[in-house]
Amino acid sequence: MVTTLAMPEPVAPPAAPRPVSVAPAAPVNPAARAVIEIDDVDFCYGASKALHDITLNIQERQVTAFIGPSGCGKSTLLRCLNRMNDLIDGAKVTAGQIRIDGVNIYDPRVDVIELRKRVGMVFQKSNPFPKSIYDNITYGLRIQGQKNKARLDEVVERSLRGAALWDEVKDRLHESALGMSGGQQQRLCIARAIAVEPEIILMDEPCSALDPIATAKVEELIHGLKKQFTIVIVTHNMQQAARCSDRTAFFYLGKLIEYADTRTIFMNPANPQTEAYVSGRFG
Amino acid sequence: MPASTDTPSLPRLATREVLLRKRRGWFFGLSGDQFVKYVFQGNAAISIIVLALITLTIFKDAVGFLPQNHQNLRIYRLAGLEYVDLFREQVTAHSTMSRYLASVRAQRLDLLLNKEGLAPAAAMTRLADFDAFANQFADTINEQETLLGTMTDLTTNLKERQKVAEDLVEAKRNYLDAIPGAPPERAAMLQTKADVIHPEVIDFKGEIQPLLAMRPEIAAANARQMAALKALLAQAPKFTDADLNRRMEKLQGFVSDYFQEVEAVVPKMAAWDQTKPVGWLESFNAFAFGREWITASFWQDWYGILPLFAGSLLIAVIALCIAIPLGVASAIYVSQVARPIEQKFIKPYIEFISAIPSVVLGFFGIAMLGETLRRVSQMPSLSWVPGFPMSERLNATTAACLLALLAIPTIFSLAEDALNNVPRSFKEASLALGATRLQTMVRIIVPAALSGIVAAILLGFGRVIGETMVVLLCAGNRIAIPNLGAGLGVIFQPVHTMTGIIAQEMGEVPHYSLHYRALFMVGVVLFLISLLVNWLAQKIVRRYRIVAT
Amino acid sequence: MSAPTTTAAAIFNRSTPAKRVEQGAFWLLRLATYFVLLSAATIFIDIGWKGGRVVFQKQAPFINVPFLTEAPETLSVFEFDGKKMALGDRAFRQFSAAHEEKMKHVAVETYAYSAGGIFPNIVGTVLLVFGSITIALVLGVLSAVYLSEYATDGPFIRFLRLSIVNLAGVPSIVFGLFGAGLFVLTFKFGMSLLSGWLTLAFMVLPIIITASEEALKAVPKGYREGSLALGATKFQAITTNVLPYALPGILTSSVLAIARVAGETAPIMFTAAFVMRDELPWQGLSKWTDFFFQGVMALPYHIYNVASKIPQNEYTRDVQYGTVFVFLFTVAAIAMTAVILRQRLRKKYKW
Repeated sequence: MVTTLAMPEPVAPPAAPRPVSVAPAAPVNPAARAVIEIDDVDFCYGASKALHDITLNIQERQVTAFIGPSGCGKSTLLRCLNRMNDLIDGAKVTAGQIRIDGVNIYDPRVDVIELRKRVGMVFQKSNPFPKSIYDNITYGLRIQGQKNKARLDEVVERSLRGAALWDEVKDRLHESALGMSGGQQQRLCIARAIAVEPEIILMDEPCSALDPIATAKVEELIHGLKKQFTIVIVTHNMQQAARCSDRTAFFYLGKLIEYADTRTIFMNPANPQTEAYVSGRFG
Repeated sequence: MPASTDTPSLPRLATREVLLRKRRGWFFGLSGDQFVKYVFQGNAAISIIVLALITLTIFKDAVGFLPQNHQNLRIYRLAGLEYVDLFREQVTAHSTMSRYLASVRAQRLDLLLNKEGLAPAAAMTRLADFDAFANQFADTINEQETLLGTMTDLTTNLKERQKVAEDLVEAKRNYLDAIPGAPPERAAMLQTKADVIHPEVIDFKGEIQPLLAMRPEIAAANARQMAALKALLAQAPKFTDADLNRRMEKLQGFVSDYFQEVEAVVPKMAAWDQTKPVGWLESFNAFAFGREWITASFWQDWYGILPLFAGSLLIAVIALCIAIPLGVASAIYVSQVARPIEQKFIKPYIEFISAIPSVVLGFFGIAMLGETLRRVSQMPSLSWVPGFPMSERLNATTAACLLALLAIPTIFSLAEDALNNVPRSFKEASLALGATRLQTMVRIIVPAALSGIVAAILLGFGRVIGETMVVLLCAGNRIAIPNLGAGLGVIFQPVHTMTGIIAQEMGEVPHYSLHYRALFMVGVVLFLISLLVNWLAQKIVRRYRIVAT
Repeated sequence: MSAPTTTAAAIFNRSTPAKRVEQGAFWLLRLATYFVLLSAATIFIDIGWKGGRVVFQKQAPFINVPFLTEAPETLSVFEFDGKKMALGDRAFRQFSAAHEEKMKHVAVETYAYSAGGIFPNIVGTVLLVFGSITIALVLGVLSAVYLSEYATDGPFIRFLRLSIVNLAGVPSIVFGLFGAGLFVLTFKFGMSLLSGWLTLAFMVLPIIITASEEALKAVPKGYREGSLALGATKFQAITTNVLPYALPGILTSSVLAIARVAGETAPIMFTAAFVMRDELPWQGLSKWTDFFFQGVMALPYHIYNVASKIPQNEYTRDVQYGTVFVFLFTVAAIAMTAVILRQRLRKKYKW
């Protein structure tokens, strides 16, 4: 807990602006810095235990996929990472720590609002607000008090470009977001998340409600985004995990069964349960 | 707010630093969000507070009723009013018989005029011997009435003196209470004012001795009366009409009942004990089981809720008898049978009915419905209906018809909801087995929605029994327990109700008087009924909720 | 199944006893439903017809302006030079002054409230509705936000919900008693706007809370999560992304509450409403705060008075039907707005 707070590097104050154009992260880089460290985490909904003793590290600027059958706890773990589970009555982490940049995010001193700004989230069901596209993107900045129009315009363009949506919607920024197609809506939600410049983006089955073409676009987008962001994606679609993730964690009944390079998990799993799942024998 | 949002190039704080940056508590050590939460919570608590305040207010003003009524009953006994009332019963019984004779006379007159076609003057001569008999009969009570008058004067005088004394005691206490804290001169002035007041302390035992002393006189008068009545009855006039003769024979029966009563009166009066203490329960019972609600009377006020409760109940029952079939039928029709276009029109329409203010319905009752119903009841072809023709334009049924219209939207919407909530699969399964729509409705859907429908009916009952303006305007406002002897005709009797009595009398009562508190007691009863109805409805809904899987 | 039939013959539509019974039953239900609708229509038509003739007129300006802009007066009816005259208070006094000699021998019948108009009553009702709805909306919406956004199930919340449900069932006359006992007597507000406001506000509070909570609950959860995931505080999420979308629903409920408040008589009978008051509530105040402690005349109470305390005849009928007409159709218009608004919103907001 507090022990992890010793700061090794005296944060170079005008910290280098985010290195935007970093070389594509190596597909598998065990040496990459672990941004999220999950240590022995138990999680309960009231009396029923949903996660048992989960330990894994998520590395910077990689795509990490959580897979497993329904109810295996993958979404629960994801929602622990930005404390969205706080909203559910009686749900809490009962043991262990989740550290982001070395800070235990369940430390009482942690400001949840700041945490959520740093750890963005995209939901299973696309949830654009019933406002214009422009207002959707700028929502995060506006609630932080940003009023500068030029700055907002710039963020809108950058975020929409980042989400590969700019060309499709640049002429109707002030129309309602609810008029977009399902795939566009989901990419809008991604753009909205990018706009507040998080470090980590959590995606909770972002393509489950999309058709194959829209899914392909989102996957392509994820591929591009990992240059800038650490991405954690929950999916029930194994092909998707295989296509777009660098590392994959397989969960079953609230336990982490196996966590390794995506290639390893799909080609050469160590655990027979994993093998059974990825080869489609259950789930 | 983070500087990073100002320009893209500005330094961005490291995550760890941002996460641990302490939020300043800015309001009594609460964070903004916590503070907001408590504001909301405080507001929500208003509902609890209001309910508590309502309970407190009406109970506070109501509980005072018991001691005050206790005192009221104590004086009733001490001042001998109770004693006089024992005798009064006899006089009342006699006048009932006189009224009976008058009704016989009216029937006879009707026969003479209409059947035999006599001119009025001729009819009167034919009635002369009966009238003579009736007059003699009425005269037999004269002696008792005189005695009763004397006794009444004596006791009311005593009661009046007691009331004056109580007022003086009150005034004196007010002066004395004001003394502490008053400046010395004023205190002295108040003291002198208080000193001048000498409330009379009445020796009730001594004062009522004359009353008790009248007993032998009463006994003698009664003996004379019985002898006179016997002699009179022996020469009662005979009629040619069989029906009339039967009624005259009935009079004989009444008289012998009366004799029994008369013989019991003096012993009862002798057994009466002025010193018997009035129990607290008696004070409560006089309210809860009292059959009379008499206020502002020169003699004795009674606050018995039974006539009002019975009136409210009678109206509610009639209203529900109309509203349940109509409300439930429309709910079934709209949810199961009606075409979509009908649904679209009927549902808002019925919702809309619930917005008709009750005072408007009451006005409609007075201006149109009452008269219309009476006209209908006077049609000769309907004379077989019990209670027809109505004697009063405004009666329980007039009010109930309008209340039914108020209850129908409540019953309709809740029942319709319940019917719509029956899982579709139930219906489909039944239809797939070859049942007709009617069979499906009767055997599957309505039973499945029954708990909701029952709850709807209960809430409809709550709505009806709590309604004020319609009953105040249209129920006829006669304070009497409906006479069940009239059979079904009881529904055309005018009644008074619990809500009506509050609305009618609350504006005129002195604050915190016994009467005021009695009205609050009625309010408490209404309040408890509404809680009970609500509780039952919820319980039923919860108990029998269908869990669609 | 006595005679064996082929499927083809069996499914061919025939009139069987079961079907005839079904048709009969459906007709019975239909009859009951339309009977209800007809009964209500009778009331509307009767009042609309007889009251409409009072409020509207054939010549310009087509509306009976004095009826809507003057105070109630006593009507005096008398025969003068073989002519039947019916004059309001002021006109009657002028007339008597002009014909002093002759008037001494004229028998005059008077009917209270039957001349003039109902302006102070309209004013009173508007004031009562406006104030009580403001109070009830503030309290009700904030409570609803708490219940739907903050509350976690527990004894406090269960008790709170129980209170709300029970409060909704308390008869309005009991609210009247409560207002009289607490505001008028204990707090010594007297028969005043303030007492009436509070009494009425508490009476509709449960309606507003329940309906607003429903409106809030109808806003999809994704909007809240979406905002929170973008770093909004809970309060920001509620104000920017929940309340705006619940607002139409809340408004509908408040319109219904207005209809209820405007239509109730029992709660104001002993808290705010006067039978007769010559001054409007803002007239003759020594300081502005006195405004809150003025009693008013109100339409529903006026109807009660004119319906129960004056005889029904040709002279009093106009004021009776006219008042009821104005009142009923105002309330009906409010309720209609709510019903239409709700149907519109149901179509518009489908998420």
